[in-house]
Amino acid sequence: MTKKYETEAPGYTMTTVMEEAARCLLCHDAPCSKACPADTDPARFIRSVRFNNVKGAAETIRENNALGAICARVCPTEKYCELACSRTGIDCPIDIGGIQRYVTDFEQAAKMDILKQGKSNGKHIAIVGSGPAGLQVATTMLTKGYAVDIYEKNEKAGGYLTYGIPEYRLPNDIVEYEIKRIINLGANIHYNTTVGDDIMMDDLKANNDAVVVAVGASESKVLPMFANNENVETAVGFLARVKEAKGNITDLPENAVVIGGGDVAMDVATTLRRLDVKNVTDMAYEEFDEFKASKKELKGTREAGVTIVDGYVPTAVNGNEVTFKHRHIDSEMTIKSNKIILAVGQRVNAANLNITIDKHEEVPYAGYGTADPKVFVTGDIAQGDKTVVWAVRKGKEVAEQIDKMIMDKDKEADLVGGNE
Amino acid sequence: MIKKDLSVDFLGVHFENPFLLSSSPVGNCYEMCAKAFDEGWAGVAFKTIGPKHFKVDEVSPRFDELTKEGTPFVGFKNMEQIAEHPLEQNLHDLKKLKENYPTKIIIASIMGTNEQDWEELAQLVTEAKADMIEMNLSCPQMTSHDMGSDVGTNPELVKKYCAAVRRGSDLPILAKMTPNITDMVPAAKASMDGGADGIATINTVKSIANLDIDRKTALPTVDGKGSVSGFSGKAVKPIALRFIQQLREAAGMEQLPISGIGGIETWQDAAEFLLLGATTLQVTTSVMQYGYRIVEDMKNGLMHYMEEQGIDHLSEIIGAANKSIVPVDSLNRDYKVYPKIDWDKCIGCGRCYISCFDGAHQAIQWNEEARRPTVDIDKCVGCHLCNLVCPVGAISTGEVVMKPGREGNPEDIKIESPRLTHF
Ligand SMILES: Cc1cc2nc3c(=O)[nH]c(=O)nc-3n(C[C@H](O)[C@H](O)[C@H](O)COP(=O)(O)OP(=O)(O)OC[C@H]3O[C@@H](n4cnc5c(N)ncnc54)[C@H](O)[C@@H]3O)c2cc1C
Ligand SMILES: Cc1cc2nc3c(=O)[nH]c(=O)nc-3n(C[C@H](O)[C@H](O)[C@H](O)COP(=O)(O)O)c2cc1C
Ligand code: SF4
Ligand code: SF4
Ligand code: SF4
Repeated sequence: MTKKYETEAPGYTMTTVMEEAARCLLCHDAPCSKACPADTDPARFIRSVRFNNVKGAAETIRENNALGAICARVCPTEKYCELACSRTGIDCPIDIGGIQRYVTDFEQAAKMDILKQGKSNGKHIAIVGSGPAGLQVATTMLTKGYAVDIYEKNEKAGGYLTYGIPEYRLPNDIVEYEIKRIINLGANIHYNTTVGDDIMMDDLKANNDAVVVAVGASESKVLPMFANNENVETAVGFLARVKEAKGNITDLPENAVVIGGGDVAMDVATTLRRLDVKNVTDMAYEEFDEFKASKKELKGTREAGVTIVDGYVPTAVNGNEVTFKHRHIDSEMTIKSNKIILAVGQRVNAANLNITIDKHEEVPYAGYGTADPKVFVTGDIAQGDKTVVWAVRKGKEVAEQIDKMIMDKDKEADLVGGNE
Repeated sequence: MIKKDLSVDFLGVHFENPFLLSSSPVGNCYEMCAKAFDEGWAGVAFKTIGPKHFKVDEVSPRFDELTKEGTPFVGFKNMEQIAEHPLEQNLHDLKKLKENYPTKIIIASIMGTNEQDWEELAQLVTEAKADMIEMNLSCPQMTSHDMGSDVGTNPELVKKYCAAVRRGSDLPILAKMTPNITDMVPAAKASMDGGADGIATINTVKSIANLDIDRKTALPTVDGKGSVSGFSGKAVKPIALRFIQQLREAAGMEQLPISGIGGIETWQDAAEFLLLGATTLQVTTSVMQYGYRIVEDMKNGLMHYMEEQGIDHLSEIIGAANKSIVPVDSLNRDYKVYPKIDWDKCIGCGRCYISCFDGAHQAIQWNEEARRPTVDIDKCVGCHLCNLVCPVGAISTGEVVMKPGREGNPEDIKIESPRLTHF
C-alpha cells in the first residue's frame, strides 16, 4: 500500500555511473563547481569517478558538504550545478545529482568515516534547530575542535529533512545515516527542547562562546478564510504526519485539493497520489510560465496523475466547498473535497529568541550577525535561497565567521595578557 | 582526506611518490614541469635531449588517435622525435628545476648517435645537476638509424652506449627499452652489463592506427603521405605489463629495478605496474589528454588501496604479483566455473545469448517469451564470454566443478576477487 510512497527511484550502478561520468567534459575552471552553492565541487568528484577513484570522490563531497547524500537527492540542480554545465552545449547536462548519489551510497556501503573531530579547543557553541543549516554548522565546528550542543524542539533531528521532504524523494534511512555521522562526530543533540520556552537564550549565551539560531520556517501559513475548518490541513503538517507514519495514513478521502504552486504543493499532491488518493487537484496561484516549483518536481507531479490548474486564487470557502477565481480571465470554479491542503508558504516562529524577522520570513539584512555579538542566524532565516544546499552554504559560512571571531578574540586576549 | 606515505626509493634516489612525467612534450620546459610539480608529480623524465649536431625537424600535424565507439584516445599515435628546444636551454631548465624544486626528481633523458655523443650528453646533464639519467634507446620514429629503436633492438650497441654514459657520469642510469622486439631480456641484460642501473619501459609501439581512406595513406597525413610511428596510451598497457613481467621472470633479473611506462591513467593502472615490479611510474598520453591534474586521483586512489591492503609502504607490494603469473602450461586445468545469471538484474537484452552462440559454445538457452537466458551446463565450458558482454553485470562466477575424473576440492579454487563485481 505505501510502497509507492516509500520507494525511491533506482540509482546508478558501477557501469552506468561510469557511462554518465564519461559524458562529463572534465572542463577547465569548471562552471558546475562554481555554480554549486555549497562548493561541493562536482567537477572534482566526477573526475575522481571517471578515474575509478570513488573513495576519493566521496572525500571531496563529504569534506565540502556535511549533507552530501541528501543534497544529491533534493538539490534543485536545474537551478545550480546542472544549469551551468558545459555539456548543455552538446545535449543535456551531466546528471550531477545522480553521480553524487552513487558516490555517497558507495561511501555508506564502504562504511567510510571521512570527517574526524578536531582536537578540542575548549570552546563551546550552541545551535538552535537541527535542520540542515544547524547540522552543517555543527559539522564544521566539530571538525575545528569545538564542543557542540544542538537544541531541537522536535523529537527527532533534521528539520524539514525529517518532517517535510517525502520518503520517495529522500528516504528517512539516508537522513538518519547523515545525522548519525554527525552525532558520531560529537554533536550533542537535546531533543524535545524548545529554546525560548524550555530553555532560554540567556542560558545558552551564558554557557557558550556563541549561539547560532537556525530555526527555519517551521510553521505553515494559513489563509484567514481557511482558519478553523475541519477539512483543512497544512502542507507541512500533512507531510510530517505521512513521513512519520511511513505512509500508513488511513483517513484519506477519494479526492483532495491542494492549494499552492511551489515545490511543497507538488510534494503534497504527489504524495497524495502515491497514497492512492484517486483525484488530486492542485490549484496554483501562478500560471505555468511563472511557476515556482522546479521543472523536475512539476514533471513528477504530472506523471503521478495530479490535475494542475494554474492561475487560480481561492475566493470563498464554505465547509468542504472552495471557490476559485482566475487571476486574469473571467473564470470561476468550485471544488468540493473533504481534504483541502494548504501549501501557501511557511513562516518563522522566533518567539523569545530576540531575532527580528521581516515579511519575507528572514532577517531584514544580509549576513549572519545579529544585534547581539554572540548570537548568529543561519539557514532559511538568513537571506539567500531557501534550499538545503543553501542551508549547507550558510552553515559553512556562519561557522567560519564564528570561528574567526572567537579565534581573533583569543589572540587579542593573549596580546593584552602579554602586555601586562 | 586520507594521508599515506607514497614515497619510494629507486636506484638510491628518494621519490615523494612514484608518479613521474615520462619523457615527451608533457615535460618539455621549465614552466610545464613546475606546474606539474605544484600539482603533485614527484619528478620528471625531461623531454629527450639530443646532441647539438642532430637537427630536429618535425612534421605537422603529428598525432592520431584510435577510438572505439564513443571513447576517444583508446590509443594515441605520434610522430615526434626528441626535444626541439636548443641544448643550452634544456640544460638551463634542468638546472633551474633542481634549484627551485630540490625535493623533486629530475631525470635527464638523453639520446646520442655515437659513443662520444652519449658520453658528452651524460657529462652535460650531470653538470646541470640532474638526479638521474634515462637513455632513450627506443624512439621508433627517428629520422636517423643511429638513434632510437634501431639502436635499442641491437644488444651490442646498447651495451656500448650504456658504457659510454657510464664513463660520462656517476649518476644512476636507466635504459629506456623499446617494445618493438620479441624478447626484451637480451637488450635489458646488455644495458645492465654496459653499466645501466635499471630499466625504463615501454616506449611507444610501432603502429598504423587509422588510414585516410580517401587519400589512401596512414594518418596523420603529411602532404599526402603517412608513416609507421609510435603508439601509446591505454591500448598499450597490456603490452607494457607483459614486458615488465617477462623482465622480472628472467633468471637473475628477479629484482630488476624498473620504471614502468605505458597507458597509465588511474590508480588501478599504477597498482598493476607496481605489483609487477615497477618502482616508479611514468606517464605521457593521459596527461596529454587530461592534464597534470590526473595525478591527484592516482595518488589518492593508491592511498586508499594501501589502506585496504593494510600496508604502510609501497615497497611491500612492488613485484607482489610476479610469482603468481606463471607459464600457461602450469595453470590448473582440472576445473571449470559456470556463469551465474541473476535474473533480477537481467534486463533481457540477449547479448549473452548472441555471444555464446556466435563466439563460444551455444550453451545459453534463450526463453523467447520471458526474454531470459539460462545456462545449459552440459554445453557450457565456463569461458565467461557471457559475463564480459552483459551490460548490467547480471552474470558472475558461479558454481565451481571439477572436470570428470580430476582430483581436487572445488571449494579450494580461488576465483576472481569480489572487487571486480561489487557495488
Ligand atoms: C515540503 C518541503 C519540501 C522541500 N523540498 C526541498 C527540496 O527538494 N530541495 C531543497 O533544497 N529544499 C527543499 N525544501 C526547503 C528546505 O527543506 C529548507 O530550505 C531547509 O530545510 C532549511 O533548513 P534550516 O536548517 O534553515 O531549517 P529547518 O529545516 O526548518 O529546520 C529548523 C529546525 O529548527 C527547529 N526549531 C524551530 N524552532 C525552534 C526552537 N525555538 N527551539 C529549538 N528548535 C527549534 C525545528 O524543529 C527544525 O528542526 C523543502 C521544504 C519543504 C517544507
Ligand atoms: C608525443 C610523444 C612524444 C614522446 N617523446 C618521447 C621522447 O622524447 N623521449 C622518450 O623517451 N619517449 C618519448 N615518448 C614516449 C613516452 O615517454 C612513453 O614512453 C610512451 O608514450 C608510453 O607511455 P604513455 O602510454 O603514458 O604515453 C613520447 C610519447 C609521445 C606520445
Ligand atoms: S550539492 Fe547540489 S548543487 Fe551542489 S553539486 Fe551537489 S547536487 Fe549540485
Ligand atoms: S560543467 Fe558539466 S561537463 Fe563540465 S566538468 Fe562540470 S559536469 Fe562536467
Ligand atoms: S547479457 Fe545480461 S542482461 Fe542481457 S540477457 Fe544476458 S544476462 Fe540478461
